[in-house]
Amino acid sequence: MITRNNRMARQWLVLCVVALALSLPSTLWAQMRMPDPVQQDKLELGKKVYFKRCVWCHGVEGAGDGPSADRLFTRPRNFTQGTFKIRVTDSGELPLDENLIDTVKNGLPGSAMPAWGEFLSKEEIKSVVQFVKTLVQDRDFSDEDEELAVMDFGKNPWGTSEPYHLGVPEEDIAAGKEIMIKNKCFECHGGEGRGDGNPTMKDDWGFEIMAADWQQCWNFRGSRRNHYDPFNIVRAISTGLNGTPMPNFREKITVEDRWKLAAFVNSLCPRKKIDRLANKPINDFLIKSKYTVGPVTSDWNDPMWQAPEDDPRAKSRPSGYTDIEGGGDQYWHYIALAGQIVRGERNFKPKVDNLWVMSRWSEEEQAVYYLVEYHNRFLSNDPEYPEGVAIQWPGQLEELFGAEKPYFIFGDSKKPVDIWKASFLPKNYDTTNAPNPDGYDLDISITELIGNGFEDVFEKDTPGGVQIVNSKYVQGRVKIMFRRSLTTENPDKTDVQIPVKGFVPVSFMEWSGFNKEHDEYMAISTWVYTILEPPLPASLIYMPPIVGSIFFGFQMWLIWMTKRTRKMVDDKTWK
Amino acid sequence: MNKVIIGVILYVGGWAVFHYGLFPMFTPREFSWVFNRYVYFLMLVFYFIAFNLILKLKPPISLNSLAVWLLGLYFYTAILFPPIPWTLLITYMMLWSIGTFLYVSQDKETFQEFRRPIVNVVTGEYKIARYIIFAALPLLVGWATYESIYPSFAEPVELRTVHPAPPATTKVHGKTYALEGLQNPFRKGEQDDYKDSFPFLDADKQEYMKYVTEGGTIFFENCHFCHGDQLNGLGMFSHVFNPTPANFIDPGTIAMLRESFLFWRVAKGGPGLPNESTPWSSAMPPWEEHLKTDEIWKVILFEYWYTGWHPRTFDDESSSVE
Repeated sequence: MITRNNRMARQWLVLCVVALALSLPSTLWAQMRMPDPVQQDKLELGKKVYFKRCVWCHGVEGAGDGPSADRLFTRPRNFTQGTFKIRVTDSGELPLDENLIDTVKNGLPGSAMPAWGEFLSKEEIKSVVQFVKTLVQDRDFSDEDEELAVMDFGKNPWGTSEPYHLGVPEEDIAAGKEIMIKNKCFECHGGEGRGDGNPTMKDDWGFEIMAADWQQCWNFRGSRRNHYDPFNIVRAISTGLNGTPMPNFREKITVEDRWKLAAFVNSLCPRKKIDRLANKPINDFLIKSKYTVGPVTSDWNDPMWQAPEDDPRAKSRPSGYTDIEGGGDQYWHYIALAGQIVRGERNFKPKVDNLWVMSRWSEEEQAVYYLVEYHNRFLSNDPEYPEGVAIQWPGQLEELFGAEKPYFIFGDSKKPVDIWKASFLPKNYDTTNAPNPDGYDLDISITELIGNGFEDVFEKDTPGGVQIVNSKYVQGRVKIMFRRSLTTENPDKTDVQIPVKGFVPVSFMEWSGFNKEHDEYMAISTWVYTILEPPLPASLIYMPPIVGSIFFGFQMWLIWMTKRTRKMVDDKTWK
Repeated sequence: MNKVIIGVILYVGGWAVFHYGLFPMFTPREFSWVFNRYVYFLMLVFYFIAFNLILKLKPPISLNSLAVWLLGLYFYTAILFPPIPWTLLITYMMLWSIGTFLYVSQDKETFQEFRRPIVNVVTGEYKIARYIIFAALPLLVGWATYESIYPSFAEPVELRTVHPAPPATTKVHGKTYALEGLQNPFRKGEQDDYKDSFPFLDADKQEYMKYVTEGGTIFFENCHFCHGDQLNGLGMFSHVFNPTPANFIDPGTIAMLRESFLFWRVAKGGPGLPNESTPWSSAMPPWEEHLKTDEIWKVILFEYWYTGWHPRTFDDESSSVE
């Protein structure tokens, strides 16, 4: 039984504790705690999971040297030093269990680490994390010296929500840009954030490493499958990424400013529909070539070539993107690339994993234009290994029946392919140059190839007149515009003859000269289609009013009929 | 008449609150028994019934039938999951419309009551309603005409045979194999006995695990880029290719195939497929160019061990053919 005195004493005690808590500085930047010790009872299950699922990349000792390691970029994590990238603790410190669990659950997008959350049970994930902690040899999760500072990240000041986190005020984004410039983020991440700042970076183990491309946020390792959440960026800025050159900025940038910087970084990433299984934007399988009344301009700053990179289903089109006369909306098509790992010399570590394509055709010129853009952090200066990008077509489209196509890598002996390959080197460029907003002109040439199988690719004797009408390399982005007439003389039956309003298979290839790519050692896409959209039919103008008027007439007839019937009922003439 | 307006407000307002306020809560990322979309729909229906009863609104049959019809439309378009194709939606809504019509035409009075507002609009007793409706409908029809003749293009649908009939024989590395009765030379033991064994750790002690380890090593040097670290066809390059790489976890792939079929598919890859399986698009390499015969068999052994599936085997009678 509680006496009255007892109760009063207790109230005093509570009051004292509250007062003490309030008197502490409220802006502590971190909360100190000990690491989670290894839970011995989970190790048996953890070991079982590790040796079935993880050992293949992370290796028997957890040194990141499993069978797959040498063919992966980025390499699997080496656990032995206890270096983990995605944490909520201070730079250089061990992670919390929940950080490792989140990593296993969501995977690390942009790397080979898949999300295990749907594959393993919660218990298995917890256990394998405990086992991984025992693979850390240089540090001890029960050591008293390993005290952790768990960062304070503040809260999302704008209350934006999944999936696209839109609605951050423009002035905060502009402020974020200032913070970016002041803290020189561009030195590694490049002038426009495409990760094109520093080609010489190494991780703690001496392996090559790239700064993140902010415009492809679906590849952020710490995205936790919530790719547009600015929190991911705030965490990276606050804690740094252990093992990489990315430091933390917790002393240089206040928490409020970190959110603004994050909002700026986040604003650069196009809002695309992200495939939850692949953690990549959903591919476009049809490239629509827009009809143009007059000639097409090769100036990509013309309204003719303007379209937002955002998916119209994710973010509405801002004003200023007008329909071009008779052509309808212009649209950026997203084409995913993979390393060519099928035939011959295989490329397991491609440097470019997607292209953005836009197209127009002109009835007056009887020509089609393809604008191809892609991010590539660094270009080659070596004439022996030029950069390259190519559009591949069936060489004899008229001979194909139904869904039939040539083999998607350089065709086959029965069905040749027509390849328009642009090879180029940037002028006055060096990988270590400071960001250059004007970009670099390209020393570019076009080669038309005919492919009869991957060992039988040669230059055409009678090229079909493909031209490069515009090209540039700006802040980590290559832009190249191809042009060709719809039909050619085609004496050797090697050029694709492009029909209007027909589905034509097309695919893309890319060679990163900086990565010493050449011939079949390249990046490829699968076959997609392109279509030259016909002009909008004239019936679009006259049919709706005609049908509407007919319907109006029908309504009048209905009124007349109803009234007549009623009158007949009243007159008793209705039988 | 006032009661009708109150009813309409409660219908529209209530639906808006439910749809924009409650619906997101009832469609969480992780499925649960209480917070699911069907429970939400039942709550909406109860709400509709409840306010009509409690306020004694006694709505006219036309309003009732409209509410019932719209509820059906809402269910089929927004609630039912996974979403149904529009052809099916039209079929369902046709049946739903017939049902609603049966409900209003159950006897003469209700039918007349249902008909009355329509007739009143047509004959002009509801003057303002007539002007609005008779002006809006032709515009709507014109707009629908515009939408339907506006050209739109979608890539052609291509069908392909996923598991084509294998040939009788296949020649790999200069040796001809008859696929009928062909066995994996490394399947020396019962797979289930090694379920809890460790690759690498047990490779020295158990011959079977030695082969599994070697097969896994080859898989994770070559195959995981497409078929995935989890063998579920979601490797880091998988989303690029069309057709997408096979998912070995799925019961429709290696679980229903013979090892000899896999041997042929692995050795010959995409280019070895017949035309009905679109050999021109398959990114599966002809692995005989990269791997030895033994390595192909070991990878197959590993894939079954990892997924826990058993290969289809020949029953006693057909195995005697061998």
